[in-house]
Amino acid sequence: MNKKLLSIVYLLAGFAVLFLGWELASIWSKRELPSPFKTMAIFFNMWSNPFYDAGPNDKGIGLQLLASLKRVFIGFGLGTLIAIPFGFLIGSNKIIMNILNPVIQILRPVSPLAWFPLGLALMKVSDKATIFVIVITSLWPTLINTAFGVSSVPQDHKNVGKAFGFSHWKYITKILLPASLPLVITGLRLSIGVAWLVIVAAEMLSGGVGIGFFVWDSWNALSLEKVMSAILIIGLVGLVLDKLFSAIQKRFTYAI
Amino acid sequence: METIKLHHHVDEEIADAIIEPALNPPLSIEIKNVSVTFRSSNGKTKFTAVREIDLEVKKGEIISLIGHSGCGKSTLMGTISGMVKPTSGEVWASGLKVTGPGPDRGIVFQNYSLLPWLTVFENIFVAVDAALKNKPAVEKKELVIHNLKMVHLWDHKDKHPGQLSGGMKQRVAIARAFAINPSILLLDEPFGALDALTKSSMHVELLKLWNLDNREKTIVMVTHDIEEAIFLSDRVVVMNNGPEATIKEIVNIPLDRPRNKRSIVHDPMYMEIHDRLLTLLNAKLSIDDIED
Repeated sequence: MNKKLLSIVYLLAGFAVLFLGWELASIWSKRELPSPFKTMAIFFNMWSNPFYDAGPNDKGIGLQLLASLKRVFIGFGLGTLIAIPFGFLIGSNKIIMNILNPVIQILRPVSPLAWFPLGLALMKVSDKATIFVIVITSLWPTLINTAFGVSSVPQDHKNVGKAFGFSHWKYITKILLPASLPLVITGLRLSIGVAWLVIVAAEMLSGGVGIGFFVWDSWNALSLEKVMSAILIIGLVGLVLDKLFSAIQKRFTYAI
Repeated sequence: METIKLHHHVDEEIADAIIEPALNPPLSIEIKNVSVTFRSSNGKTKFTAVREIDLEVKKGEIISLIGHSGCGKSTLMGTISGMVKPTSGEVWASGLKVTGPGPDRGIVFQNYSLLPWLTVFENIFVAVDAALKNKPAVEKKELVIHNLKMVHLWDHKDKHPGQLSGGMKQRVAIARAFAINPSILLLDEPFGALDALTKSSMHVELLKLWNLDNREKTIVMVTHDIEEAIFLSDRVVVMNNGPEATIKEIVNIPLDRPRNKRSIVHDPMYMEIHDRLLTLLNAKLSIDDIED
């Protein structure tokens, strides 16, 4: 059996296990938890007309998803713009590292939900507050990994620069940047995962349009099938984002 | 009588001025009373790798530095390449005091040290570009092409180091060192990571490259391998064990060139030299040498 076919078989088997567990849990909860089959029916119904727009509180799943993705990418983009330069600074200078490290360690573990009120106070508008929360929670993995990548360039590579008289600029562009790139991308991959996690939580608080809002709204409408469907969508999108960055990572990792 | 004597004296001086440089070619490398001491990061412990080393290498000579691990041979070569600063003493290369690496000295590292994200061609080009900044781009490209072809790796110029075998990677590293056209070549256990068969053919390839350059390049090589040292060198510098290592003895290798791997082992002089080096290195020769 060839590789691609085999991986599809594994995928389907995985889903089968998931659905089986779900059905058992549904039965055990006396159908408080909707069955997978009912949920899938609603799921396909949602996707039959994903882009309808019936007013500010009633939009198709496609529009909700796009709104969330837009916020995630803006937040992730801004976070990256902050994280990478600071990461380089911290990784290349021990004094700066020693000064900023405690700051990083204090800010990093704070939950996005705790940042939200601060975001509202600063940004006034809940949409911008949500983006603020994404920026401040998702930039840490990129920053830390970038710093680590910059500070751990193998001595062998540094020796090449020294032996052949590389100028500062040449060292940075031909040795430092390419050597630290794999770790920077690892940081980005972790950051996008955090950003996606955070958007759902933040949107539940902020309301408006988005997949997180959709979850809360469906709960209020007592449609657990829609909630479960949303959970599935959130999971699948997270998987796709991760695979995307994983592919980028592979492209820039070279064997020695 | 006195007039004749005066003439004779002046003639002698002129004769000396002409003959002397021919008999004693200019020194390529001079190591003058060099010691290297390393400090630990907290500044508390000192470790002296080599102590009061004096060594002179003539232009076009091939010499090997040999000794047990930790005898400071790589450190000593580091002072020639400029990668290591002597704690005391001076090193002179090509008539100038060594203050750091320079384009007159090409280095081949033990671990190849090729940049994995660049192709073979780019690896050599980027080194030539940095070391020979002021040359026109066309000339730099020419140097890369010429040296790649010399090591027979032209067909692999667009590959990345990860796609090459150990021997090929080392040939790229050698091409890179040759490409900056240095007058001195410094090789730090360049063949240590290769299997014996590849290593053996690399010896012959290195000598071929040296020959193609009219034997003008001075070569200093650090090695553990006695046979390698004898086959390649004009002189073998045997180091004492570290720390505070010094030179134990310098063995001359007056074997004719070009040397032949097969016939050399039957040469009585080779056998004598081989014996001498085994003794100097306190090699364990049989199970009877080891105390129970």
